[in-house]
Amino acid sequence: MASSTSGSSSSSKVVKIRSSDNENFEVEEAAAARSETIKKLLEDVGDDADVIPLPNVDAKTLVKVMEWCKKHMDDVDELNKEEMKTWDAEFVDMDQSCLYNVLLAANFLNIKELLDQLTQKVADMIKGKSPEEIRATFNIKNDFTPEEEAEIRKQNAWAFE
Amino acid sequence: MLYLLISCVSFILLSKSFTHKPIQSWEGKLKYLLSIWLCGELSSFLVSWFYKSRLVLDSLRVPISLPLKKMTSSLSSKVENVEEEERSSLLDLPELTLECIFERLSPAELCTMAGVCTSLRERCTSDHLWEKHMKQRWGGVLGDVAYREWRCHAASTRRSTLSDQSKKKDLLLDSFFNLWPLPWITPKFEKRSKVRTTLPVDSIMALYLSLESGNFWFPAQVYNRENGHVGFVLSCYDAQLSYDPRTDTFQARYSPHGRRTTEDNIQWDRLRAPPVDTPSHILHASDCLHDLKPGDHIEIQWRRNRDFPYGWWYGVVGHLESCDGIDNHCSCHSSEMVILEFNQYNPGSRWRRTVINRKKHREEGNEADGFYGGIRKLYQEEEITSWKRRWPTRVLE
Repeated sequence: MASSTSGSSSSSKVVKIRSSDNENFEVEEAAAARSETIKKLLEDVGDDADVIPLPNVDAKTLVKVMEWCKKHMDDVDELNKEEMKTWDAEFVDMDQSCLYNVLLAANFLNIKELLDQLTQKVADMIKGKSPEEIRATFNIKNDFTPEEEAEIRKQNAWAFE
Repeated sequence: MLYLLISCVSFILLSKSFTHKPIQSWEGKLKYLLSIWLCGELSSFLVSWFYKSRLVLDSLRVPISLPLKKMTSSLSSKVENVEEEERSSLLDLPELTLECIFERLSPAELCTMAGVCTSLRERCTSDHLWEKHMKQRWGGVLGDVAYREWRCHAASTRRSTLSDQSKKKDLLLDSFFNLWPLPWITPKFEKRSKVRTTLPVDSIMALYLSLESGNFWFPAQVYNRENGHVGFVLSCYDAQLSYDPRTDTFQARYSPHGRRTTEDNIQWDRLRAPPVDTPSHILHASDCLHDLKPGDHIEIQWRRNRDFPYGWWYGVVGHLESCDGIDNHCSCHSSEMVILEFNQYNPGSRWRRTVINRKKHREEGNEADGFYGGIRKLYQEEEITSWKRRWPTRVLE
């Protein structure tokens, strides 16, 4: 999308990464290093690194994650904070299976800030919903008996007021 | 009876197949398999029968029921997996990621989540998620005494529910056990819903809910009791409190005092957790007497007479009359006598100042002026500002 050529990284190094379905990507090192996992690998192998294999992340997900990393590559100044906020909000607004995949990838790649944003997104999806709505949204089977549900409702009475 | 018969048959079959040591023949294997199948069929019949009668055969100590249970559960989970593969579920996320999500939920949301399914119930009722909320909302008003009281309350609740359950069980099962053919095999019967939905009484979530609903009266202290009644300005008294979720205020019951002893509509900022463990009828052992010097902020126990409970009163340490109050020449800190000032009172008031002996202070006073008890020096700025915030708008007589 808006892969802005913001200038600041004119002579930056490029690293190669490979997805689980064997697609290779070239990413600016500063962006890839947002992932603690990749950063650690780069430090360990140094300049000899050819392609870094990421066996847990498929190409589609990796594109998404790197899109985020690229955007968050540089420090954000006060002026751009608001813009970044809107960008982030739009970024996490994806369908659920995609969201889970990016979450798993962020977990594996150890990108804390992205992980925070995604888990917050899921938490926001929970907010304000009833148990029935949560089951429907997140595809969860109700394994309580009606009696059990009634009892829980009684316990939680204050929360539902 | 039928059970006894068939299990005996299968047992004989089983033991036979073991006694003919090398079970090489197909016949032997067939017998062996048949006996397992028989047991399996039988126990599955029994399990479904017990299920229908809303009782769970929890630990029938017959080993043959185990493989069957495992088999059915793995089978059913396979079926579920096939269904779930169509759409991924939140519960498929790794444990740590789920934790990160739950940590972002409010108490009300955690409660809702705990009502979604058994797996979420187990996760969202766990203490470590509730500790933070407990501390954030109730940390300032709940002290050790309150927690102790809650533990007692929890223990007695547990005892009473246990005895209730066993009474019910006795009634229900007496007749059943008369027919039970194997007296040495005692099955455990539990009511299913109780096990899966009842919160452990000693869990933090249970405490949180009891506090929020106002069901649990907890001990704490109230500043300026009885709506800032002039006789209680800049004091803090023990009370039993209950939260009112509709008004977001508290109701207090004060220790018996001869007069009105309850108060409604108490705001959060008028409560505090008791800073020391001393009950209101016990003299606090002052451990700061040697350290008192002019300008120090203190609170001191005071009671009208010996039948009344102590309250804590705010004051400052002043200079002796012989001292001019200039720092360089002041030697008040080395004097045995310590002046305590209560500047909220008019200079002529009998409550304005009192003298104590730092070497042998215990309880000082008389029936007219009341009794001054143990002293706490206030070392934390937070405590001092909490008192100063309540400074009366006009001087007290």
